[in-house]
Amino acid sequence: MKVIDAIDERTIDLSMDVKNKKEAIVQLAGRLKEANYIDDVDSFVEDIYKREELGITGIGNYIAIPHGMSDSVKQVGIAIGKTNNEVEWETIDGNGVKLIFLFAVSNDHEYAKNHMKLLAEIATKLGNDNIVNRLLETKDVMELKEIFSA
Amino acid sequence: MKIVGIAACTSGIAHTYIAKEKLLRAAESLGHEIHVETQGTIGTEDELQLDDIKNADVVIIAADIKVGGKERFKGKKIVEVPTHVVIKSPKGLINKIQQDLGL
Repeated sequence: MKVIDAIDERTIDLSMDVKNKKEAIVQLAGRLKEANYIDDVDSFVEDIYKREELGITGIGNYIAIPHGMSDSVKQVGIAIGKTNNEVEWETIDGNGVKLIFLFAVSNDHEYAKNHMKLLAEIATKLGNDNIVNRLLETKDVMELKEIFSA
Repeated sequence: MKIVGIAACTSGIAHTYIAKEKLLRAAESLGHEIHVETQGTIGTEDELQLDDIKNADVVIIAADIKVGGKERFKGKKIVEVPTHVVIKSPKGLINKIQQDLGL
């Protein structure tokens, strides 16, 4: 499996109209629910916020990586959202956030290890400023997939 | 400089791997040799080789949790920072270490 296999068009929204962090997380969680990755939006969002309390997920350069380890996760996956306006978020550089990678991870770590590795690979790519800058510019899902598969 | 490091974060899903990549890219662009082990939910990956540890000038531990296998670094210069430090300013950290070590 390749990174591109973990990127599901149904869970990507590159034009999110949201006012704040909570709305962004809830909308992306809704997409994960619709695509059958999680079975309950509320409990998933609750688990996301539990992780938020442990440390900030705004990694700078307008990127946030909230992630929930949650019993509501049925299938390991990721939702990707780009907001039309900068959203206030706790970040390491004090800027807001425009691009959100919401990781859905099962509490059972042995489960779907292959998919977990793909998430690690996606995170690795987010450590590359060149890739991040390209991701920030794209408005196209196909292009986003290309950037991740390069 | 020759650097070895470990990256590990609270849930072992994302920050770990971002921190690793940031360290690798920064070190390489500054002309240093580097190996970074990740300790995440998928287990330990890119485990450090004894030779690399032996030859390293410094050990960078970028972690938000307790890492495993620190006894391997006995007698080594160890720099411990939270992952957000290497995510935010990897080159700054490496340059400062280099300065402190006088290398």
